[in-house]
Amino acid sequence: MHPILADAGSQFGVTPAKLIAQVVTFGLVYFVLNRYAFGPVTAMLEARRKRIADGESKLEKIARDLAAAEENARIIVGKADAESNRLIKEAGEGAVLLAEKKRQEAITEANGIIAKSREAAKLEQEQLTVQLKREFGRMVVDATTRVTGKVLNNDDQERINRETAAQVSL
Amino acid sequence: MCGLFFARKMMSFSQPFSSFSPLLAVNTAASSLFENVSFLSFLTDSFLVAAIVLGLILWIARKATTNMQLVPHPAQNFFEMVVEFFYGFIESIVGPKVAPRAFPLLTTLFIFILISNWFGLIPGVGTIGWGEGNGFGVLHEVEKPLFRPATADLNMTLGMALVVFAFWIYITVRETGVWGFIKHTFGPKGGLKGFMGAVMVVIFFFVGIIEVISVLLRNVTLPMRLYGNIFAGENVLHTMSSMLDGSGPVVSFLGSVLLPLPFYFMELLVGALQAMVFTLLTAVYIKLSTTHDEEGHGDAHH
Repeated sequence: MHPILADAGSQFGVTPAKLIAQVVTFGLVYFVLNRYAFGPVTAMLEARRKRIADGESKLEKIARDLAAAEENARIIVGKADAESNRLIKEAGEGAVLLAEKKRQEAITEANGIIAKSREAAKLEQEQLTVQLKREFGRMVVDATTRVTGKVLNNDDQERINRETAAQVSL
Repeated sequence: MCGLFFARKMMSFSQPFSSFSPLLAVNTAASSLFENVSFLSFLTDSFLVAAIVLGLILWIARKATTNMQLVPHPAQNFFEMVVEFFYGFIESIVGPKVAPRAFPLLTTLFIFILISNWFGLIPGVGTIGWGEGNGFGVLHEVEKPLFRPATADLNMTLGMALVVFAFWIYITVRETGVWGFIKHTFGPKGGLKGFMGAVMVVIFFFVGIIEVISVLLRNVTLPMRLYGNIFAGENVLHTMSSMLDGSGPVVSFLGSVLLPLPFYFMELLVGALQAMVFTLLTAVYIKLSTTHDEEGHGDAHH
């Protein structure tokens, strides 16, 4: 060793044994920190970083899903709105048609009732007319019998009734 | 030598004025704890402190990393904060590619140097030991302290510098290759051609030699800077503590407590600063040698 270095080493107490001992001590400190501190801590930090990144990506996915769901809901609501409007319109149109149909049915039914009533009245009138004519014929026959004093046979009565009926225009 | 006793400043107020010179308050060399046993000569007072610091770091590391949770407990939280801070800091200097390899050593350097530096400020370090007796349990002068800051021993600072040097060579060769390292050191820069290019080859060859010398000299500058600062701090504290010795028991006691007090704060700062300087310089050395030429090459260390 150079005398200057040897002198400096002696003055500062540097010896190979002490130097190696201190290097070993420092090496142990490095080993301890690297093994028991930096390794686990960096692994934990990495795990946390990964967890945060996963959380962020999940959050983004949730936001995307939410936006898609909102869009989907908006489309569904739009469709439902259009469908309900169509149904309301159809229901309105159906109601108008049904009312018209019912009105026509009522008119038809009323016309039928009126026609039947007319027919019944006409029939009743005819029956009364026939009855009246018959009664009037009978009265004419009675009057003739009383005026002439002649008993009228069936042919006479028939002829008088026919002629009377022909004379009476009801 | 009268066995293990407390120094006068710690235990007694009534000792006569010391005859030692304040400039020689602390030995330049660490003292062997077993001087008479040759194979235990490496067991010095600074080695003892280094071993205590090692144990302390082991305890803190185990406490911080036992039962680690994704939601951290306070010790884990603190250690994670330290690790994250240093990783980001180192990454910003050496770059993201080299950071994973450089981070453990650089952070170890800072933590170990910082704790070792501050360990020297604990009362009793440098004032408990062996020396000339002056009554029971009292020493006139501590000639061989039991504790000495590990970084106030050139063996430790030189050892760390050698470890750093070996790591620097490893990471430089790993990143640039042997030929890349040689080209990086001796190769001409600037891309000049022709006659000027030939001149540049010669010039940069000599620049490379100077750089090699400067790289080798880091093994002197790094350890001496750290050792010098911490050793000087120890001297300042011892000198200030004994400034008023012999001025009566009360004045001597008050002087030994109050006079060094401002310097304790200064030494706290110096301890942190020197730990940062050692770490930062190592990081810069790594950065300079692993940076490719096209990214620029600032020879800040020249």
